[in-house]
Amino acid sequence: MVNRYLVAAYSLVWLIFMVYAWSLSRRQERLKKDLADLEARVREASARSDAPGAAGYKS
Amino acid sequence: MSKAFPLRLHLAVTLAWFLVALYMIFLYAPRELTMGEVQRIFYIHVSSAWTALLGYFLVFLGSVAYLWKRSRAADDFAYACAEVGFVYCSCVLVTGPLWAKPVWGIWWTWDARLTSTFVLWLLYIAYLMLRAYVTNPGRTEVLAAVVSIIGAVDAVVDYMAIRWWRTQHPQPVIGGGEGSGLDPRMWYTILVTWGALLCLFVYLVRVRIGLAELRREARQLRRELAA
Repeated sequence: MVNRYLVAAYSLVWLIFMVYAWSLSRRQERLKKDLADLEARVREASARSDAPGAAGYKS
Repeated sequence: MSKAFPLRLHLAVTLAWFLVALYMIFLYAPRELTMGEVQRIFYIHVSSAWTALLGYFLVFLGSVAYLWKRSRAADDFAYACAEVGFVYCSCVLVTGPLWAKPVWGIWWTWDARLTSTFVLWLLYIAYLMLRAYVTNPGRTEVLAAVVSIIGAVDAVVDYMAIRWWRTQHPQPVIGGGEGSGLDPRMWYTILVTWGALLCLFVYLVRVRIGLAELRREARQLRRELAA
């Protein structure tokens, strides 16, 4: 007969690791998206400052 | 390290190792005569406990290295080990009562070993909360390092509790005195299980350090945009 305590122990350990892995991957996805947005904004900002006449606007 | 041993390969090795460990736990290791099937909780419980203790020791080492050298990498390492160590410590606290209930007849008792493990878990939480909510650069890391040093003392007490005091928790069967010991098949099984858990620990720490690096990169870009 399968021991319910044994099943519960291994199932809960599996669940704990799954929840942590899910939390890591969610944070990683969010950070990668943030980074992509920020890089696009930095590129945009540098393109604007390099554009001809950009200095004129500044002054 | 990520080039020499890519994360995906590391994960594949970990999963394969776990399959071997599960085979050994449920099919290879002999059935213990007194406790029966429930004794198989031992393999995951004890190896998680060893890893949680090792994790705290690594947090301590990373923190001391940070205090000494002010090394960002050492601090990232300590933070990652604390987070992953907390997960392992949670596994210990979940599997312990599930083994205690059928064997001792109680879920929990406040003996020295169980209490010091619970305190270790609370210290892991204190460390992580400090990192999450005290956002004063430089100071947060120092405060966290102090918590890790207190935790290291508790980790030693936790390890030694069953050697120093008579507790409800069994006396050590591994590294214990005369009359202690394990069947060789149980020995191989616990070592393989611990190996799998260690491999997973290193994998999770690597992923967590990667997250810290991404976060720092994002912070740097935000600063560039604000300037």
